[in-house]
Amino acid sequence: MSKIRYFIKQSWLLILSSFCFGLLLAIANAAWYPRILQNEKEKLNKLIVGLVSDANDFQIVIEDVNIPGERGKIIKTDIYKVRNAEGKTAGFAFVGIGSGFADKIKLVITIDSKCEKFLGFDVLSSNETPGFGDKIKEKEFRTQFKGIVAGNLEIIKAGEAKNGKVMAISGATVSSESVVKIFNIYIDKITQKIQEAGLD
Amino acid sequence: MTTKTTEGPILGQTFIAGLWRENPVFRLLLGMCPTLAVTAAVKPALTMGLSVIFVLVCSNIVVSLMRNLLKPHLRILMFTLTISTFVTIADLFLRAFQPVMSERLGPYVPLIIVNCIIICRAEACASKNGLVVSIVDAVGMGIGFTLALCVLAGVRELLSTGMIFEAKVMPAWFVPWAAMSMPVGAFITLGLLLGLVNKLTKGKS
Amino acid sequence: MRNTENEMEETRFENITVAPAPHISRPVWTYQVMTDVIIGLVPAMAFAGYYFRIHALILIGTCVISCIVTEWICNLILKRPNSLGDFSAVVTGIILALSLPPGLPVWAAVIGSAFSIAVGKMVFGGLGSNIFNPAMAGRAFLAASFGMMMTSWTVPATINPAMPEISAVNKIDARTQATPLAWSKMAIKRKEPADVVNEQLKAMLMGEVGGCLGETSAIALLIGGLYLLIRKTINFHIPLAVLTSTFVFAGVVYLINPQAYIQPHAHLLSGGMLLCTFFIATDPVTAPLTRRGMWIFGAGVGTITMLIRVVGGYPEGVMYSILLMNAVTPLIDRLCRRTPAGGKPSV
Repeated sequence: MSKIRYFIKQSWLLILSSFCFGLLLAIANAAWYPRILQNEKEKLNKLIVGLVSDANDFQIVIEDVNIPGERGKIIKTDIYKVRNAEGKTAGFAFVGIGSGFADKIKLVITIDSKCEKFLGFDVLSSNETPGFGDKIKEKEFRTQFKGIVAGNLEIIKAGEAKNGKVMAISGATVSSESVVKIFNIYIDKITQKIQEAGLD
Repeated sequence: MTTKTTEGPILGQTFIAGLWRENPVFRLLLGMCPTLAVTAAVKPALTMGLSVIFVLVCSNIVVSLMRNLLKPHLRILMFTLTISTFVTIADLFLRAFQPVMSERLGPYVPLIIVNCIIICRAEACASKNGLVVSIVDAVGMGIGFTLALCVLAGVRELLSTGMIFEAKVMPAWFVPWAAMSMPVGAFITLGLLLGLVNKLTKGKS
Repeated sequence: MRNTENEMEETRFENITVAPAPHISRPVWTYQVMTDVIIGLVPAMAFAGYYFRIHALILIGTCVISCIVTEWICNLILKRPNSLGDFSAVVTGIILALSLPPGLPVWAAVIGSAFSIAVGKMVFGGLGSNIFNPAMAGRAFLAASFGMMMTSWTVPATINPAMPEISAVNKIDARTQATPLAWSKMAIKRKEPADVVNEQLKAMLMGEVGGCLGETSAIALLIGGLYLLIRKTINFHIPLAVLTSTFVFAGVVYLINPQAYIQPHAHLLSGGMLLCTFFIATDPVTAPLTRRGMWIFGAGVGTITMLIRVVGGYPEGVMYSILLMNAVTPLIDRLCRRTPAGGKPSV
């Protein structure tokens, strides 16, 4: 009995404040969590609108597509259907993740409604070297992916960038290759899933 | 700072101490992790500084209020609990209202929990002093930390992008020094600034 | 200059080993050693002038002058006695200039020189207290800051007389080319044979290839290195260790898969290998003091260079390997402390 009393005497403040702080956190979380979710959705929305010119709204059409990633790892992703103002399919979008030079690169990739061409990509998050690798965010590099045939892409350092070839960023070959790798890992499975589901 | 008086001059001294004489970054060399990690540009540095001020003030208030109830062997636990609560609140707030900054700062907002400045002030000041002194101390230290971060970030942002607070200030021919936005730039700038501050305070204090 | 003196003592009294302290004083002054190094660098500078014309003159001039000015200003601010008389700033300036791409804009060379002297040397307490080779520190800063400029190489004037103009930003055009190492690395990555480099061997010997100002000509660097060896300004341990370890490493990987790697002697002749071996790795301030330490240091430089060249992402790695080995020099010195007569080494 005395043991319990000793315990309570020593730690009542700790227990009490834990409750108070827990309550505080619960309130803060409840108040702001919807906003946080909204922010994430808005960011994706903004990126997709920037990529698919006549995008009006988008929704998840296929959930949890299993992508066979590097070293036999399975990555899950959702496919979004982008619709234009008349409600027709303007294209599809998905989030692709792969390892870059410094950290993971997270991309939003869009393809047209017939799964024939890429409509481009944008970077959701990355941590590439400033001045080199982070040029993957820049228009100069990204426009290369606009309208390119949806298939396996290849990175080149010199020559002409056409027919599925993409010019690497000078001094940032690893980052450029990572981006192309993400495209290549995802595209087959995504196209297959979209066609299986008969979406267009 | 162990006196319990709340007279004007002492309050003023407490406040000034955090700004210069005991500046957490330049004089005490505390909180080096955010100092090096988030000072590539002024905006994230300022966000980090404001978050630290918020956490510092709140934790100092709470610790000061319960300083007479603290059991010595449980005090660090209490400090950490208090600090982590407010850090989580700050993190949630940033994610809800400053999503861009929150993403930019990444793990460094949650890492404020282990920022030595906060636990140092809780231990050295708030657990021994009254509410007013604790608040003044927290604000002084917090502003001192923020200013130090902003100076460091200002130099780095200017040289690595030619901009300050995302506004172009350098002439068009300026070629950015990419190294300054890398960790190298943080270490070199911090070292040179520390040398400068040491030179300025030589013979004083 | 301590170890240079030691080694001289050692060679005079073969059977007596003189450890770092105490010394019998001999009139070898820092400026004498530095003058020797400058003379040793003359062939490399001459070849640089021949191949890169006005670029070489401007770059060497800029670097030397800005190094001297920076050192003078630093001494003024830090209230230290004037140290320009030891010529070490001149040597730093020349070595930095020789390790820069010929088309580098003047202002970038000024930044690099100022960084070399101010951050690479003076903040540590001046000559003798610096941890890193100042020229390499400056070059590393430039490489991190202006990556594009630091990797575009002007074609020597003997191949293409149309030298690019000296502009604030150098661009890649027909008047620039890849270094042999960068070339082979790209070829290997594309799974093509890297013969390009092997065919270029003669050009590499003479220096008629793309590359840093003073590193293209192997012959010039060898002449300079031999001069320093004969004058005993440097001793043979570090250069021999660097070259041997590089050759062995390159030889082993070449024997394993001749398709995927270039020949070992191409590795020795290309890039900054010889410049670094004779003039930078032997920097008495930032290299170990004992013979055993020098062997370890040299082997480390060679091995890390080859690791970067063969495994890493960069085509050239001499600069980083020297800086890395500079960083562990204090540890090597500690490891190789000599046992004083009749006792255990102090810990």
